[in-house]
Order: sequence, then structure tokens, then C-alpha cells
Amino acid sequence: MPIRGRKPRSAKLSEILEGLLEARVDFILVGGLAAVIQGAPVTTMDVDVVHSQSPENVARLLAFLKSIDAAHRRLDDKVIEPSERDLSGKGHVLLTTRIGPLDVLAVIEGERSYEDLLEHTVEIDFRGHTLRMLDLKTLIQLKKTSTDPKDKQRLPVLKETLRQLEEKSGRRKDEKDSDNA
Amino acid sequence: MSEKMKRDDQSRVDRGLVAMFLKMSPEERLLANDNALRTIMELRDAYTRQKAKERKTK
Repeated sequence: MPIRGRKPRSAKLSEILEGLLEARVDFILVGGLAAVIQGAPVTTMDVDVVHSQSPENVARLLAFLKSIDAAHRRLDDKVIEPSERDLSGKGHVLLTTRIGPLDVLAVIEGERSYEDLLEHTVEIDFRGHTLRMLDLKTLIQLKKTSTDPKDKQRLPVLKETLRQLEEKSGRRKDEKDSDNA
Repeated sequence: MSEKMKRDDQSRVDRGLVAMFLKMSPEERLLANDNALRTIMELRDAYTRQKAKERKTK
């Protein structure tokens, strides 16, 4: 019998996002999934978020994590549920849940917190909610300084995605300008 | 970054695949990732089962 929280029964990363939004958790989506949503043709196995550490938000996040049977990802079979203290600290909380892996990060590269990252985000409408994520330009800057080989490998794809996006928005601006002329 | 490095970066990227992904909506991209994940997990499970079967028959 699988131990609760140890192994995801399925990986539905979009449901994790929807659940966080339904639970009114303030977070910024960072990492591979933010790149996927902005158009990068990469596959990612987990959801990475940087959360607001206000006590109210931590409480909402903790309640949501309980609802999806979250537990710390470990090499052994021990099931350790995340605590308020984990989510209020400065570390990375790497979790397994019944709908897929979720990494809850207090800060990312350069000790940047939720508040620091807010100005580098874009928002999209997602299933009746507003989903906030780190913009592609900032993601690329962070990956450049990352020591993770996976990040280095992905960098050319992210750069090409940004190049094509900027080319597209440039074309759109030119069309608008000529319409107004 | 030097011009040569820029060219090397670009030559490793499937530009058509990027263009194809950019034509999709954010929701479609998310679902494409979920589907890819599901497939990867199914294949990994099948591989693990096959390996276990092989070990038993030895």
C-alpha cells in the first residue's frame, strides 16, 4: 500500500496551480512551468512557487497543502508534513503531493523574496483567476546565474522563445502604428 | 555574449517548435506539459514493471 503523500498518484500540475488560486494563496510561479506558460517548449516535472510569508497567507497555504496530502520529499519512507514554521522560514520546502511535486520557496537566487519579485511578474487569466508568474526576461537572468546544469541546458530555448515573443510584439506594435497613421 | 556563442545557442534550438508553442494559449501549454508528464510517468512505470518481470524470470 502506498504511504500517504509519498508518491503522487498522478501529475496534474495545472490542478496544483488552480488549487493554490482557489485557496487564495498569494504566490508567484517561477521555474520551468512559468517558462512553459510563456511559450517555451520544455517539459517540467514540478511546480515552483515563491509565496508571500504573511501569517494569513502561510495559513491559507498550509490548509491547501493539507488538502492535497503534501509531505516533504525524502529519500526514506518517512512522512513529514510541512509546518507553519517551514513555510515561514527562509528555506526551500520541497514537497510531494497526490497531484504532483510542489516546491515552495521563500526566496530564489540573490535572496529575492515574493515582494522583491513582484515588479518582474506578468499576469494571465487562468480558469477564472489571475495567475502571476515571473516574466521570461527575469527567468532567463536567473537561469544564467544558476549552477544547475538543467537550467544551463534550457537557456537557449528560453532565449529563443523571448526573441520570437519580442519579434511578435514588435510586429504587432508596427501594425498598430500603421493603423493609427 | 560573443556572436559565435549566440550562433551556437541558436543552432541547438528547434525554432519551429518554439513558434508552434507560441501559437498555443497558456492553458493549452499547461495541458501539453501535463500530458507529457503523464506519458513520461506511464512509460517509466512500464519500464519498471518490465525490469521486475525480467528479474523474476532469471
